[in-house]
Amino acid sequence: MKALVIDISKCNGCYNCQIACKDEHVGNDWTPYARPQPDTGQFWMKVTDMVRGTVPKVRVTYLHDICQHCDEAPCIPACKQNAIYKRDDGIVIIDPEKCAGRMDCLDACPYEGVMYFNEVLNIAQKCTFCAHLLDRGWKEPRCVEVCPTEALKFGEEEELKDLISKAEVLHPEFKAKPRVYYIGLPKSFVAGAVYDPKEQECIEGATATLTDSESGEKLTATTDVFGDFWFENLKVGTFTLKIEADGFSTRTIDSISTEKDVNLGDIPLS
Amino acid sequence: MAEKEKLNKEAAEEKSFIKDISFCGVANGSNTSVVDVKNGRIVRIRPLYYDWKYKPEEYNPWKMEARGQVLEPSRKTLIPPLTLSYKKRCYSPNRIRYPLKRVDWDPKGDRKIENRGTSRYVRISWDEALDTIASEILRIKEKYGTTAILYQSDQHGENKVVHGPHGCARRLLPLLGGYTLQVRNPDSWEGWSWGAKHVWGCEPVGQQVPQTNNIPDIADHSELLLFWGCDQETTPWGWEGQMPSRLSYWFTDLGIKQIYIAPDLNYAAAVHANRWIPVLPNTDAALYLGVAYVWLTKGTYDKQYVATHTVGFEKFEEYVLGKEDGVPKTPQWAEKITGVTAWVIKALAKEWSRKRTTVVIGNGGPGIRGPYSTEPARLQVLLLAMQGLGKPGVSQTKMIEWGLFDNEEQCAMPRSSVLPSYRKAYRGGHPADENTPFIPKTLIHEAILNPPISWYGNESELPPKESQFVKHEYPMKGCSRIHMIWTDSPCWITCWNDGNRLIKAFRDPSIEFILAQHPWLENDCLFADIILPVNTIFEEDDLGSDIFSGQYNLVFPQQKCIESIGESMSDYEIVCEIARKLGVYEEYTEGKSVEEWIRYGFETSGVQDMISWEEINEKGYYVIPTDPNWKKYTPGLRKFYEDPEANPLTTPTGKIEFEATGLKKHFPDDDERPPVPHWIPYGESHQETLEHPNSKKYPLLICSNHPRWGVHANHEDISWLREIVTCKVRGPDGYQYQPVWMNPVDAAKRGIKNGDVVKISNDRGAVLGGAYVTERMMPGAVSQDHGAKYDPIVPGELDRGGAIDTIAPRKTTSRNAVGMAMSGFLVEVERVNLDELRRQYPEAFNRPFHPTIGTCLESFVGGE
Repeated sequence: MKALVIDISKCNGCYNCQIACKDEHVGNDWTPYARPQPDTGQFWMKVTDMVRGTVPKVRVTYLHDICQHCDEAPCIPACKQNAIYKRDDGIVIIDPEKCAGRMDCLDACPYEGVMYFNEVLNIAQKCTFCAHLLDRGWKEPRCVEVCPTEALKFGEEEELKDLISKAEVLHPEFKAKPRVYYIGLPKSFVAGAVYDPKEQECIEGATATLTDSESGEKLTATTDVFGDFWFENLKVGTFTLKIEADGFSTRTIDSISTEKDVNLGDIPLS
Repeated sequence: MAEKEKLNKEAAEEKSFIKDISFCGVANGSNTSVVDVKNGRIVRIRPLYYDWKYKPEEYNPWKMEARGQVLEPSRKTLIPPLTLSYKKRCYSPNRIRYPLKRVDWDPKGDRKIENRGTSRYVRISWDEALDTIASEILRIKEKYGTTAILYQSDQHGENKVVHGPHGCARRLLPLLGGYTLQVRNPDSWEGWSWGAKHVWGCEPVGQQVPQTNNIPDIADHSELLLFWGCDQETTPWGWEGQMPSRLSYWFTDLGIKQIYIAPDLNYAAAVHANRWIPVLPNTDAALYLGVAYVWLTKGTYDKQYVATHTVGFEKFEEYVLGKEDGVPKTPQWAEKITGVTAWVIKALAKEWSRKRTTVVIGNGGPGIRGPYSTEPARLQVLLLAMQGLGKPGVSQTKMIEWGLFDNEEQCAMPRSSVLPSYRKAYRGGHPADENTPFIPKTLIHEAILNPPISWYGNESELPPKESQFVKHEYPMKGCSRIHMIWTDSPCWITCWNDGNRLIKAFRDPSIEFILAQHPWLENDCLFADIILPVNTIFEEDDLGSDIFSGQYNLVFPQQKCIESIGESMSDYEIVCEIARKLGVYEEYTEGKSVEEWIRYGFETSGVQDMISWEEINEKGYYVIPTDPNWKKYTPGLRKFYEDPEANPLTTPTGKIEFEATGLKKHFPDDDERPPVPHWIPYGESHQETLEHPNSKKYPLLICSNHPRWGVHANHEDISWLREIVTCKVRGPDGYQYQPVWMNPVDAAKRGIKNGDVVKISNDRGAVLGGAYVTERMMPGAVSQDHGAKYDPIVPGELDRGGAIDTIAPRKTTSRNAVGMAMSGFLVEVERVNLDELRRQYPEAFNRPFHPTIGTCLESFVGGE
């Protein structure tokens, strides 16, 4: 059974995967696997820039939307034409010759931005894991082959088990049993920097303690030469930050919400 | 079973070709790809696996080991999206399919010169085109002499060898009696060339040479990397691919900290930065000085090294401490200029002095292409010297063009056993003959509009620093002014200084004929009188090589994989046909066919004894083995570090010159490039900082990077790139505008929302753009990538395409340095009322454009 693992922490944002998908599927007809993808506006492998934080604590994480090739794919039973099927290797295919353009599958799929309706051809379309190439003997789909950092890995689930053990799936609550796994999905961060306004110096070696208001759980960080501290991979919640440094009064910042990434900016200590 | 047979048949119908799809634009390339073709049409472009036809032991894979970790080359070429999507450029609706003539240009009557840029084009036959060109050349020669022909042969095009763009006519024009050559300035490395060379030599570019084994040296010894205006996730793409990305992740794995210093959170900073230090565009010189002040006052620099390896330090010290001008260059002083707080400057100084630090560059960082770029370039070198430049882990390392100019010493990665070269078979431009009259590219508009002119240096793009002291003039004695322009792969307007001024020159009555060769109808072509259609790389037999990837060097024959689009020919074939009309075909071709030139190129490539022509054609490519001794080459400037007397630099003193001997001797009073580098807020040439009163009217500093989604002006009509959020911003009118990055603070002040159409303006004109409101841009600065496809609303004044270089400074780097200043200048940005613009300029706004590629053939051809 095939699986795809996407390590977001190794994605450099080059969009090769999105482009290779277009190179393979736009203008090329791979019936019975898939008919051509529209030139623009639809993405069987879609990259999205997520810009996080504020100046200068900013990072970009690149999200990847692709058909999850679910083992309990809601699109399969939803199709009244029986046009959608799961292959023995786990790949879910919409048969372009059977699809009658009813769009039931689009309503049934719980994941956003992975299934598209091709109005010109009057069919639903999505990723095929380049099954037409796998059946010719290729080892991986185009998007995986062109990834320069090997952030995308494809193969037999058994061969990928070490990676999969570190990964998670999108929306496990959908209970669709996806065959696409993710490492490094973005969680929130709280960051900032402390400085001494009198001496105009960053404060290195200060201790920042972040307390989860709900559970009381504490995380600590020591500020670096720029006075910077980062707390990463935080769950959504409310936190309190305490900063202590020798020779300075302790500073506390309450009610930090991690709905979004937080940059507390330059924090003066006196 | 039937299914299986069908699949095998389908695969068998696809024929695979190996192509160099990179865009450095001279004989050697990179981004080697396999192009699968079926029924005469490109199916896909994919990476080449080095081990497809060879066993790894045949090419000796290198292995870098450091701190318990290993880095090896990939099994395949690491091609970028610019290569992967390139079939769209080949099949673009903007491909010129047949010769075109400007509809109201009558070479026998009224030439309607003033209509260049507004009149449309009509199809003509090759016969008519070639006859007209030949008769115009002969007429010009008769009337003014051949030096009235300006040849622009040095623009940004595809990589080819025998069919080379970049100047096939440079071998034709001397046969007719000569010409005037436009000589490319050292674009993308202005500061290094005009500044840093005077500090440390390092010919021919002015960046650190040798680069040899700098990357393994970083892996072994560096603790901190300063990426100074460097975006290795963008700039190297078109040249070499994505090895720099893998390296950057590896450096993080090794525990080496990465600090990014730039006005924007560039694409490398976005994923690799431990710290982003936003600095206002082109204020880097002040930041270096603030750091130097801390080191001088705290004594945290390598005094011994300064004593033994440098000269002129006292003068520098006097300036930094304020003894020269009464202004100490304190962190507080630098804060006001750079927008970097004094405490961050002090922390940077502390960190840099206590850790083994390498500065990483990517050629055209925004900080090295601005007004007075000689100053930050020199200061970077001097600060490296203050921390023991050349000692383990301390270097200036480049992430691009490993192998530039076929020079082994440009390669920071493990060395290949052979650096192949096709120079002998290259039919494009070759070094100018000594007595050819020339004009630096940055002064073309001035030469046409305001002659006579004079300048120093730039007789080639790689002039030794001493040539910068030689004065030249135009028109050269006994030579004509320019009356005809011949250009190939043109993109001057959107890639050089004050494109608007060049447009005025193109429309000057003295220019009787403009001839362009190009695959696409874009940019300068819109001002030509005759445009000839050129093939892309897919449509030609040629040679290919891959020397920049940092993995392995490759050579391969390139076979034509599809037929020419329309009536296009290669640049070389076009010049052959013109030579035929002029009766010099045999002399021009030197009696060799294209096939013979290709074979000759292989026989002189450097690998001809390693593999036979027959075998390389059978296998399709050859992987040159890694040099088995690659680890033995001394890294970078280590020898100079260890013994400066025995291993001098190429400066007059052999040392690093805080006070430049050459500048002091030749330009002692030049306050725009003084012997000791300074922070120059403004001067005779430029007034582009917040310290100048012009900033009241134009309060924002603009940073202009080499483009993310293209190489200079290339790739502008690839729909798959244009739909990416950072590539184009679709306006309410459906037009895809060039993004303008703005911080939310600056946007809110101006009532600008993400996605609005905005106008960037200064006294040189205005361009439109699409607002990309983002925390990736620091407040006080905006950014628009250069290279957008020019789409005139008012030629020479207002552009819809977002060709920001049309309003970049006209004046050169400084008074005596004819580089260009393309980033770090003053602008204002405002929201535009599109309805009002449409009413005001109905013709431009009613011009048809393609919804997903922008302007195209139908925008300018036919319909009249």
